[in-house]
Amino acid sequence: MARARGDIKRLRRWALVHKWTSLACTVFLLLFCITGLPLIFSDELNELLGDQPPYADLPADMPLANLDRIVAAAKERRPDHHVWFVFVDDDEPQVSVGMLPSPTAEPKTASRLRFDSRTGEFRNEIEPAEVRPLTFVDLMLRLHRDLFAELPGELFLGFMGLVFVVATVSGGVLYAPFARRQKFGELRGASRRLWWLDLHNMLGVVTIAWALVVGATGVMNELSRPLFAVWQRTHVQEMLKPYRGQAVPEAASFSSVQAAYDLAANILPGRRPTSVVFPNGRVGSAHHYLIWTKGDAALTARLFTPVLVDVVSGQLTSVVEMPWYLRTLQVSRPLHFGDYGGLPLKIIWALLDLVTIVVLGSGLYLWLSRRRSPFEARLREEAAVQAHST
Amino acid sequence: MKTWRWPALLAVLTVVGLLSALLGGEGPWRVLSWVTLSVPLAIVLWSLLRSLMTPSVVNRRS
Repeated sequence: MARARGDIKRLRRWALVHKWTSLACTVFLLLFCITGLPLIFSDELNELLGDQPPYADLPADMPLANLDRIVAAAKERRPDHHVWFVFVDDDEPQVSVGMLPSPTAEPKTASRLRFDSRTGEFRNEIEPAEVRPLTFVDLMLRLHRDLFAELPGELFLGFMGLVFVVATVSGGVLYAPFARRQKFGELRGASRRLWWLDLHNMLGVVTIAWALVVGATGVMNELSRPLFAVWQRTHVQEMLKPYRGQAVPEAASFSSVQAAYDLAANILPGRRPTSVVFPNGRVGSAHHYLIWTKGDAALTARLFTPVLVDVVSGQLTSVVEMPWYLRTLQVSRPLHFGDYGGLPLKIIWALLDLVTIVVLGSGLYLWLSRRRSPFEARLREEAAVQAHST
Repeated sequence: MKTWRWPALLAVLTVVGLLSALLGGEGPWRVLSWVTLSVPLAIVLWSLLRSLMTPSVVNRRS
């Protein structure tokens, strides 16, 4: 008897945790679920809604056009801008050159010039995010990621994600005492409220592992800016010690981008460089090309490894060992986006998202239709209804 | 503990599904992820159909 009373006390505490954490995050979770739904299909939507010129029909095995030539062409088109990065796409035969009005300008001021990766011909230019009209996908992403509030928005929504994880765990703890009197998946119809309670419990528990993974990886993604900043201040600074005090090289003295790209490809067999980041004021080094490489296996394709190449001499400085927290972040991306298993996986992601919306809505309904009775009475009542209906 | 038997099985299937496409890449691993991650959705469907076929306050016509 004493033990049962202790159990009830413990459960009552969990019920309080579940109630308050859920109330705190439900509105934001509904926002995540609703804006996240189209974001699952953002690739498809961008392709559908974008107005990209068609690609020339060329043999599939054409080699990559010379990157130095592409960079020169980009500079010619935007002589007042500085090259920020060269990105070699692997979904489409294109190379994008990101250009900033100054080397330390904000990313939202960057223009992107796209070239055909086989012929090196200019295709089109994408205006900076700050002047470009917001597309539907952009709008969903901003609402989903930061509510247009940049870093503070990301941290706040990340915290809401953490609150959701606590709400989900506490919901899982409460599942057993509320569901032990019926068969699994049975929705008792003795009262409307009981049916919704059972539905809430059933939907919540069958999707609990997915919800925890998507919730936790979402929190990780919201932390990406601070995590990269920590890495920049510790690991990267450590590597750049020998360069401390040296003058920042002029753009005119930069060595060949193509040679740096080839160097990275050659020293890391089984990996492919995807982008070359030029010296800038944020991530990387004022003295190096930072070259991101990805592996060719399913998992290693997600684990990007950067290579630092001296921007003046073109010599390899180091292959950068990524710390565990950035590796975790890299794995968190696909697990949050659901974009790593083809269209069927995306559809499953969307359906699970819809189930989560019903869990949130039913939870809200259960709270609004709550009875002002103590927790023990609710548990007892629960038992009585069951005894009556069987 | 009995109450958690099914949910625990579904959680294991979910984790297997989430990881198989991530670690295995294209081909059979992808199909495995589609199948395992569909099981919770199938359970939802089964539970709802079952509830709609038994008389209760929610489907009683009034």
